[in-house]
Amino acid sequence: MISVKNLCKEFKNTDGTVTQVLKGINYEINKGEKIVIVGPSGSGKSTFLRCLNMMERPTSGQIIFDGVDITDHKVNINKVRERMGMVFQNFNLFNNLTVMQNIILAPVKLGIITEAQAREKAKELLERVNLLDKADVYPASLSGGQKQRIAIVRSLCMNPEVMLFDEPTSALDPEMVGEVLDVMKKLADEGMTMVVVTHEMGFAKEVATKVLFVDEGNILEENTPKEFFENPQSKRLQDFLSKVL
Amino acid sequence: MTLYERFIAAFVTSDRWKLYISGLGITLEIAVFAGILGIIIGTILALMKLTTTEDGKPTIASHIATIYIDVIRGTPSVLQLLIMWFIIMASSNNGILVASLSFGINSGAYVSEIVRAGIMAVDKGQMEAGRSLGLSKGTTMRYIVLPQAIKNIIPPLGNEFITLIKETAIVGYVSLTDLTRVANQIASRTYDAFMPLIGAAVIYFVIIKLLIIFLGYLERRMRRSDIR
Repeated sequence: MISVKNLCKEFKNTDGTVTQVLKGINYEINKGEKIVIVGPSGSGKSTFLRCLNMMERPTSGQIIFDGVDITDHKVNINKVRERMGMVFQNFNLFNNLTVMQNIILAPVKLGIITEAQAREKAKELLERVNLLDKADVYPASLSGGQKQRIAIVRSLCMNPEVMLFDEPTSALDPEMVGEVLDVMKKLADEGMTMVVVTHEMGFAKEVATKVLFVDEGNILEENTPKEFFENPQSKRLQDFLSKVL
Repeated sequence: MTLYERFIAAFVTSDRWKLYISGLGITLEIAVFAGILGIIIGTILALMKLTTTEDGKPTIASHIATIYIDVIRGTPSVLQLLIMWFIIMASSNNGILVASLSFGINSGAYVSEIVRAGIMAVDKGQMEAGRSLGLSKGTTMRYIVLPQAIKNIIPPLGNEFITLIKETAIVGYVSLTDLTRVANQIASRTYDAFMPLIGAAVIYFVIIKLLIIFLGYLERRMRRSDIR
C-alpha cells in the first residue's frame, strides 16, 4: 500500500551545518497492517511518519502510495492527504470551531459529502467515542483525552485508507491515555491500516502486526511484537527496551 | 473677558460651532476611508510577505511586500502626504481623496505588520491539521488561521486606528480644513487660542474614547470560543 524507498531527510541548522535525520529508509506497509514505531527521542521516528503524508518533504527517496510516487512535485498532495488521516501529539483541534464544525469542515469544504451527510456521520462517530454530548462545545472546554478522541474522529470522517498517529498519547495526563488507546484498538480491530509512533509498549505488544525500532535515522530492527520484545537482536534495542519496559 | 465670553467667541459667535463640526467631518472621513484602505492593503501585504517557496525561502511577492513596508515606514507621513498632493496626484482636485489615499497607503504598511504578527502567533499545528486533512493552504488560512489571528490583531489594530485619527491633523499642511486646522483658524480670528484648541482636544478625546469602548466590546465578543 505504501512503499518507502531510500527515504532521506536532512535539516539545515541555523549555523549552516546539516543534520541527517533519516538515512535511507526502505519499508513496505501493506493494507490492514498496524505498524508501531518506537525509538529514542531524536531518532527520526516522527520525521519518518511525517514524511509519509509529506508534512515533511523528504530530501531524497520515494514514497509510493497506491502506485503513485507522492514525492513527485506534480502530484496533488491535497488529494493524497484526503486518503491518509493524521493524529498529532498536540491534538490540533481547530480552536475557533465547535467539535461538530471541526469534524465536518474538511469533508464538506472538499465536496466529499454534503453537510447533512457529514453531520450524520460525525454523530455516529462521536457516539462511538462516547462524546456525542460534546458536539456543540469549543475545544477549549475539553480535556486532553477528549480532544484526542475528537481529533481521531475528525480524521475518520474523511474515510481515510490509512491512519498515521504521531505520539497520540504523549501530551496526555496518565489517566487519559487509556481512553485514547481504547479508541485506537477498536479502530485496529475494524481493520484500519495504521502507522503509530508511540512510547506505549503495551499498545505495541497488543495491537501491532510489526514493531519497528528506529535509531539515528535508520530502521535498526523490525519484527513481530512477540519476537521484538522477547528476543531483541541488537544491543541498541536491548538497551532501549531495558530502559522503557 | 470672562471665561464665558471667551467660550461664546470660540464656539457660538457667527455659528462657529458649525466649523468644528465640518472640520470633524473631514477628519473622520479621511480617517475612516484610510482605515478601511489600510486594512485591505495591510492584509494583502501580510499574506504576500508570509508566502514562501516549497523549501521555505521568501518569494518575489514577499520581497515586494517587504520593500513597500520598509519604504513607507522609513519616510515621514507628512512628506508622503506632500508627495501625494504635489506630485503623484497633483491634478486631482478632490483633497479628501488624496489625503485618504495617502494615509491609507501609509497605514497599510503598519497594519500589515500587525496582521503578520497576528497570523504568526496562531499555533503552527492549526495549519498542519488543516493540511493533513487535505485542505489547501488558502482554505486553511481562510477558515482556521485568519479567524484565530483576528483575535490577536484587534488590540494593536485599534491602536493603529487611534494613531491614524490623530495623525490626520497634518492635512492642515495641504490646506484641508480638518478639526485641528479649524481650531487654529478660529484661534487666530478671535485672538484667543485657549478655547478653540482645548475644545478641539476634547472633541478628539471623546471620539477616540468612543472608539476604545467599541474595540473593548469587539474584543470581548471575539473571545467567545475561549470560554472554558
